[in-house]
Amino acid sequence: MIKTEKSIALLNTTAPFASPNAKDALDIAMIMGSFEQPTYLFFAGDGVWQLKSKQDPSKINVKDFLKTFSAFEFYDIEDIYVCQQSLDERGLAADFHIKNVQLLSTESFSHQLKQHHTVLTF
Amino acid sequence: MDSLAVIVTTPPNHHFTETAFQFIEQAIEQEINVIGVFFYQAGVLNASAHLTIPNDEFPLLPRWQQLANSTNLPLYLCSTAAEKHGLIDESQTQTKLIDSAFTMAGLGELVQLHTSAERVIQL
Repeated sequence: MIKTEKSIALLNTTAPFASPNAKDALDIAMIMGSFEQPTYLFFAGDGVWQLKSKQDPSKINVKDFLKTFSAFEFYDIEDIYVCQQSLDERGLAADFHIKNVQLLSTESFSHQLKQHHTVLTF
Repeated sequence: MDSLAVIVTTPPNHHFTETAFQFIEQAIEQEINVIGVFFYQAGVLNASAHLTIPNDEFPLLPRWQQLANSTNLPLYLCSTAAEKHGLIDESQTQTKLIDSAFTMAGLGELVQLHTSAERVIQL
């Protein structure tokens, strides 16, 4: 499938509370959504930790920006992909704190990623 | 003509920043229309007017200045990231903190670069 409209993929590869990457990627997702740009979210490697439910970053004095993920649908961000292999490697179940996350094999994941005009990695 | 936007997320002492700079130089040399550079995350530190990097370590700031002056290439600085990295002085003396080759911008500018450029490269 070749898209004629420009789209942006945000590839999240780092754990949510280990570096500012997750929050900085989220800020871009929200602004792209606000400007009605087709925005797609990808989670692989340690990035899959961003989707894990029941995390309490207040215990380490970090603002719980993961709560904002539940607003994605209001920004028309509806395509959220997670790499199955990354979950398996970390012993994580597909137990996410947001709905409509699509589990993809590594091959499908990279295929989906290639569809987009801009890919930013955090 | 091909157009390009570049996003710099690494600080001045990170080698990716040098790579980004050389990438931009080469693109311009090859007559690619570089429409803007967006500095995000620790990349905003490249705009600090107070960088002191020894000459034998290839300081980038003079080269960013030269590039901006000779090509009119906009160097956009994410304002939120600049605030978080101590580059904004609320008492309005921020011109002393940020080199004049850089322009303050919001993330909206990144959206603009994404929609306008044929290619967006991030380092």
